[in-house]
Formats: sequence, structure tokens, C-alpha cells
Amino acid sequence: MIRVGIPRALLYYQYYPMWKTFFEELGSQVVISPSTTQAMLSQGSSRVVADTCLPVKVFLGHVLSLVEKCDYIFIPAIRSVKRRVYNCSKFLGLPDMTKAVIPESPPILDIDIDINKGKRDLYQSIYKLGRRFTWNPFKVRQASIATWQAHLDYQKLMSSHRLTPPQAIERISGTPETQLEKHSSHSTSTRGAIALIGHPYLLYDEHINHRLIHRLEQAGYKVLTPEMLTAKGLETAIVRLVGSSYWTYEEEVVGAGGYYLESGADGVIGIMTFGCGPDSLMMDMVRRQAARLRATPFMSLTLEEHTAEAGVVTRLEAFLDMIQSKKRRQVEVCI
Amino acid sequence: MHIGMPHMGNLYIPFKALFQRLGIDYVIPPVNNQRTLSLGVKHSPEGLCIPFKLTLGNLIEAAELGADTLLMTAGYGLCRLGYYASVQEQILRDLGYNDVEVVRVGIAEDKLFGLLRIIKRLSNNASWLKLISAFRFGLTKLNALDRIERVVQKVRAVELVKGTANQLFAKAIDAIDKADDYNTLKKVQADYIDQLNQVTKDGHAEPLIVGIIGEIYVILEPFSNFDVESELGKLGVEVRRTIFISEWTKFSLFLNPLGMNEKARIHKAALPYLKRDIGGDGWESVGEKVLHAKEYDGLIHLAPFTCMPEIVAQNIMLKTKENIPVLPILCDEQMTKTGMLTRLEAFVDLLERKRRARINHRQRITV
Repeated sequence: MIRVGIPRALLYYQYYPMWKTFFEELGSQVVISPSTTQAMLSQGSSRVVADTCLPVKVFLGHVLSLVEKCDYIFIPAIRSVKRRVYNCSKFLGLPDMTKAVIPESPPILDIDIDINKGKRDLYQSIYKLGRRFTWNPFKVRQASIATWQAHLDYQKLMSSHRLTPPQAIERISGTPETQLEKHSSHSTSTRGAIALIGHPYLLYDEHINHRLIHRLEQAGYKVLTPEMLTAKGLETAIVRLVGSSYWTYEEEVVGAGGYYLESGADGVIGIMTFGCGPDSLMMDMVRRQAARLRATPFMSLTLEEHTAEAGVVTRLEAFLDMIQSKKRRQVEVCI
Repeated sequence: MHIGMPHMGNLYIPFKALFQRLGIDYVIPPVNNQRTLSLGVKHSPEGLCIPFKLTLGNLIEAAELGADTLLMTAGYGLCRLGYYASVQEQILRDLGYNDVEVVRVGIAEDKLFGLLRIIKRLSNNASWLKLISAFRFGLTKLNALDRIERVVQKVRAVELVKGTANQLFAKAIDAIDKADDYNTLKKVQADYIDQLNQVTKDGHAEPLIVGIIGEIYVILEPFSNFDVESELGKLGVEVRRTIFISEWTKFSLFLNPLGMNEKARIHKAALPYLKRDIGGDGWESVGEKVLHAKEYDGLIHLAPFTCMPEIVAQNIMLKTKENIPVLPILCDEQMTKTGMLTRLEAFVDLLERKRRARINHRQRITV
């Protein structure tokens, strides 16, 4: 049986159930890399020039951990998943870059996804990918239909049960994904709600963000994430802030940020990594909006390889203290 | 209506001619200087590249001088540059320039025709005839500038009195700027190319040839790269580059519609390593390295710090089979001239030693 490796990084959180279904429908076995560790991160960073961003270094660490454990590695080059949007160069060049810096990696299955080029182009790319596993075009077609259904189910599961991607993946595959579930079960959210905005590969990778969700829940806060909002709510927030979206994953940052700044959260924390091209702009848009509204406190955390845990904790504590004192002040004014 | 736009090298000269002929008031902000940079850095988000900071500085300075319609490149198919106009507009609003309009020019999709359409609108619907004649004049100036610059690049490396070519170039820029009709322009161009060719040169010099590749803005804006080309000239190195705006206009106007692409050759060379366009000039950087590995002695890879496409390109470039020394220079506001010069000197030393070793090797074989 052909084993296809999927790195547990970057777009994994958005599309894993989809990709898994596709490859399993075509009769292959899916291997995923383990959760991020410090060793994986260091190995990943040792392969690239220093300016490369943290998520890509983590991604390469995951690819390295899959070497010799699978026959192919699946790395799509996603240019756009909507019309008239564009993606970061790191995503576009991901298969080529991985091939260049990890020559020992198994053959890379790359597929170009560009909705701007139209449906025909998309179908052709999927067909080209499927043909590696079967000669039968109808089988590829069937697999793609099942794949799309799996993706819709996954999204529905997240929005209807208010689950985070790791929790939803856990429900689907039945294996414990992370420790998130355990913590959220005893979250007695009494002190308020904090919204986290940012890309899923930052919010749900506990190694990168120093278990931020866990820390917030421990402190007694309910954690809100972009996945808990409806597509329509995100869209209207984007329209209000920037007009139309430019980036493929803009709703996770500008959409969710714009939404939570106006309603539903006592504080908003934006998470980005150092040197992230799209985020450096999008986070600034959200920060400007927060400064204009002066309603909800906003903090942006910039993560990188050297971010010390104590630094993150200190900033988090200060932010939460500020929210509490703001709440107290409001109560006093009311009395 | 007062129009302003960011600088990129000498691009303001052709635009000045174009706008003058159309009777549009063009407010030219001061050429890039320390104040521009400080203004840009002060009001930019920290993680952004130097093109954003400098263009923002230009826009603020233009707005200070009374410009109310600012042109800025935008649109899909670039890198994050396509998003800059929206952010810069918000920054200008927050600074209190409430009646300033930022006009987005989609150069990657609409090519030059998009720009022409916008200029037509700005000129109160001047007739296409008038527009094209004005545009042609601007284009001639642009071509003259680039033609002279190509000669300057060659002369800089071999001139006996260092700096002569640069002085002549500065005078030529001034003369082209002042030229009012085609005849004067033609004369100025021929005159300066002549003068440049007559500069006393070191007849025996066989200058090293270094290609400049990388991101277009930092290549074309000498302020952002501490005029790396002149500095290389002082070290006796001949500089070659493929990026010239006049090349782009030529293809964008006449040859792209015919299905020709000025970069087809470069893209083809990059294919074994990078199969797709990654935005910005990343694909071209990889392709040029592969293409020039045999022709040049070395390459200088210019990129803004945190540039997304160039980081990907750099990672891939380091691993190509075609080998040539590459000096990556990341430009940002923290860069110092001394630091860059030290690196350039070391790089040129290395190239010279490599060339000597090659010549010695060849002699040994013939003996």
C-alpha cells in the first residue's frame, strides 16, 4: 500500500480531513507527522536561511520527521481558494522550496490550486494528482466528491459544535489529537471571553504559541477563535475594514479581528510570527481599527524561534490584568 | 487636482514630461532622503519592507506639498505590494490627510494600458491622441535615460578618474529632464553617450562582471541600496542587470499582446528548481542565477529585509546545480554604508582570486 505523508503544519489544520479522505479513497495510507517538538523546529531551521519565517521552519521540521516513513509527501501549492485573492509566496513556493532544501525527502506530490484560473483548471489539477494512484478517471472523480463532502462535514462540525480544528479532527479520526480537549472540558469560563485571531497553524500548534489556549482557559477565560464565526460574519467584517480581501486567508485575521473587536469578546489577542508578510499588514489593520474604536483591548503577540515562554506569560498576565481592571472600573461607574 | 506618486529611481522624469504635456499638476516629492525614510519608518508597521517605508515617506511628503491624488501600484499577482495602497491610505487618514485619494494602479494585471486609462481619467478626459503623444514623449525620455545608464555601467568599471561617469550621468539626467522636444532629447542622448565613450579609460583593464538580481524596487532605487552599482564601479567591477523599466514598457505595450514575454527565457531556466510564479521577482531571481552562472563572475542578490518571494528564491538559489558566487544583500533602514562596502570588498576580492586561479589553471594545462 502506498503511504502518503502529510506534515502536521501550515494548512494541515484547515484541510486534513479533506486530504485524508482523498488519499484513502484512492487506496493509500495516510501518515501524519507527530506534534511539533523543539527538535523538529531546530532541524527545520537548520536547513533554511535565517530570514525564513517560523511556520515554514516548523513545516520543514515536520517534513524531515516524515522522511523514510512514507513513499510520497503531499505538499500543495495553494495560490487562491477564492476568486480575486492571492497567497503568500511561501505557500506558492512550498513544494519547490522543500525539494531544494530537503533533497532526501520522498517524492513530493504537488498540486496547483488556483481558483482564479477557473473550475476546469482545478479539476485538471485534481485529476493529475489522482492519476498517480489509479488509471481510472471515474475513481478519481468519486474520490473527489467524497473528499469535498468530508471537507463540508468538517467545517459544519466546527461551526455547529464550536470546536477548534484539533478537536474536530479528533472527533473525526477518533484518536486523541492534542491536550486541548481535556482542558476545555473543565473550562468554567467566568471571568470573560478572549478572542484569539491568527492563522490556525499558529493558534493550534502548542509548541509555537507556548500553550496559549491552555493558559487562557486556566486563567478562567473562555477562548473564542476565528472558526467559531460564520463565513458571513467574517465577510462583512472584512468589507467594513478593508473593502475586499486580498489574501487567501484574510478572514482569519482581519475578518475575525474586525468582528471580535466590535462584539462578543472582552479582549482580542492577535498572534503572528516575525517576518510574516501578510500578517504584518493585516495585524496592523486590526490594530488601527482597535485604536479607532477604543472599545475592546487589543494585544498583538509576535512569535519567533527565540520567544521565551516567560515573556509570553508576562505579557499575557498584564493584558488579562488590564481587562479585569477595566471591568471593575465599568462596574464602579455603574454604581 | 494635484498628483503625487512615490519615487523609483529616475522614474519621475518621464512622468513629469507626460504630466506636463497633459497639463496635469504633478507634485514631485523630494527625492529619497533621510527624512523620507524616517517618516516612512515612523508610520509603518514594523515588519514591513523598505519599499513600503520609502513609498509611504514619499506619499506623506507629497501630501505635505499639497498633492491630493496619490498614485500607488496595487492589484493581484504581485507580492504583498498589492495590498500596500490600502494600508498606506489608512495610515494617511490616521495622520489627518482626510481628503487625499489613493489611486490604485494595477500594473501586474492591466499592464500599461491600465495606467493609461487612469491617466486619461486624471487629465479630465484628454483625447487619446493627446494622451498617446504625451505618453510617447515620456517614453522617449525613459528610453534615453536607460540607454545612457547602460553605457554608464560599462564606463564606471574602467574609467581612470573614478566618479567621472557618475558626474556625466547626473548632468545627463538633468539635461534629459530639461529637454522639451524630441530633437533636443535626441541630441542630449547622443551627446552624453559620446562624452561617456570619450572618458579616459584603463585600456588593459578586464573588469570582473557582476550581475545584479533580485527585487525590482531595491535594484532601481539607489537610495535603498546605497548606490551599490556605483560602489561596484569604484571597485572596478562592471555591473549588468536585466531589470530596466524601459524593457518592461516595451514588452508591456507592444510584445506582451503578441504573446511574447520578456521573462520567458528566465522562467524556463528556473523550471528545474522552481515550477511556478511565486509573486514579486522570486521566479526571475532563481532563473537569472541559473542563466548567468556561466556568463558572469558573480551575482549580487538584492532584496528587502522580510521580502517574501526573495526569501523563497534565496533558499532555492543556494541549492542549484549551476554554481556561481552570490552575495545576498538585504536592504532595510538598519543597513549601513560601511557594512555594505566591507562586504562588497570581500566579495570582489574573492571573485578576483577565483578568476586568477582559473587563469593559472588554464595556463598550467596549456603548458
